Amino acid sequence: MKAAIIYTSVTGNTTFIAETIQENMEKRNVATDLIPVDEFHPERLHEYDIIAVGMYTWANGEIPIEMEEVYDAFETEDLKHTVTGVFGSGDSFFAHYCGAVDLFRDMLYVHTNLAVTLKIELMPQEPDLVKCEKFCDRLLQETLVIQ
Amino acid sequence: MSTINQPLTKIKLLNPTYPNKSTGIINGESSGLLNWNDIAYPQMYDLYQTLLANFWKAQEINMQDDIKQWDSLTDVEKDIFLRVNTQLASLDSLQTPTMSHVMDYVTDSSFKAIFAVISQQEAVHNESYSYVLSSLIPLREQNERFNQAKEDPIVKKRNEIILESYEAFRQDPTPQRLFELGINSINLEGIYFYAGFAFFYNLARQQKMLKTSTMISYIQRDEMQHAYFIAQFVRILLTENPELNTEENIQYIYKAIDHAVQLEKEWSNFILKDIEGINLEEFHGYVEYLANKRFRQLGLENYYPNREENPMPWIHVFSDEMMNETKSDFFEQKSRTYTKVSSSNGFDEL
Repeated sequence: MKAAIIYTSVTGNTTFIAETIQENMEKRNVATDLIPVDEFHPERLHEYDIIAVGMYTWANGEIPIEMEEVYDAFETEDLKHTVTGVFGSGDSFFAHYCGAVDLFRDMLYVHTNLAVTLKIELMPQEPDLVKCEKFCDRLLQETLVIQ
Repeated sequence: MSTINQPLTKIKLLNPTYPNKSTGIINGESSGLLNWNDIAYPQMYDLYQTLLANFWKAQEINMQDDIKQWDSLTDVEKDIFLRVNTQLASLDSLQTPTMSHVMDYVTDSSFKAIFAVISQQEAVHNESYSYVLSSLIPLREQNERFNQAKEDPIVKKRNEIILESYEAFRQDPTPQRLFELGINSINLEGIYFYAGFAFFYNLARQQKMLKTSTMISYIQRDEMQHAYFIAQFVRILLTENPELNTEENIQYIYKAIDHAVQLEKEWSNFILKDIEGINLEEFHGYVEYLANKRFRQLGLENYYPNREENPMPWIHVFSDEMMNETKSDFFEQKSRTYTKVSSSNGFDEL
């Protein structure tokens, strides 16, 4: 089984979550590639059983522009059976807290086997680390269901 | 003398032999020319654009509804309304010149540009308070209210700490003082505004003075991004200048923000005590929750235990739908092609 985490980060909050998820996946014996969005290749999506996508959200809850290619790839490649999860950081004072996660979620639900979403406010704290563990458990659980 | 206590020199406007991409946010080599495509921290371009996308001006908001409603407010509501308005105006008055002052000592042109935008936005905030006042009360009363704000002992005590730090930097602009100015600026924009915001949003919850609250919501949106930028600025400042990144300075952050929290609680005890719909204890919890967020923005840990949950989620920026704005960017249009799904569709939301 092979997993990938595709992410973008500005302040490092999302990077921290991405790295935490990678560690947790490796701990569960799943080889996991950590892919910053500028190293992303659409054709390689098929190599993975599990893909987690992560991004930050600013202000009005839009998807960061650099994630456009990833978004398009999920729409056009056939990934119906890939188990996916989407995570992100944001600030709940804005009207659309982690809005980018929601937008990605709605699309992934249609085009992939979406298992789990995760929102974290700014720099992850202790309770958030527990959520990162659950995030990985949920991804693996879904993979086992398929097999 | 350590470099962190040596005065920063004002950089020349143009330094043709230096690169356009600055070698540091302070004491860096920079030509003075700005090409946004060649900057040291590319994410600053996103932030600059986000700030510009906020653009608004007071006159866009028609005050007629609020003018009609004004007389139906209770005397206590009117009094607090005016106190809060002039107190917030006083804070913004400090912020406009301070942000442009900092520009002189920052060597990275992209940061200079962002400080310029922030300064401009603070000027708009300042004006918007005047605009609200001019709609509601005559000049004589406005002047009385500003005098009241200048003399109020609690307001004075709060402002003094900020002023001291800002003045210290004016007198002797060292890296250490710039760092301290940044933290005080986060207190001003990220803590001190919130008892006031709570007051206005609480009125809005009762469908009162909605135009004023719309303006407050615009201001909060700007201020949140300012506090966010300053936090990034401080983090970069500490990273680029390890001699500033000391245990002592980390303790300074915890102490200064905690002090601001205590002062905001004190101010709220005074200003919100007779306001129906606001529980003071809950508001104190809110301020601690808010401060925890500031610590996290600075890459530090929560300082107040058990304050992960927001006890007053209604204090937040109005959504665009609420403000009747129409915004159509690529993704928002695109997202509408998918139905909104939730955990009832068979996945987990953590």
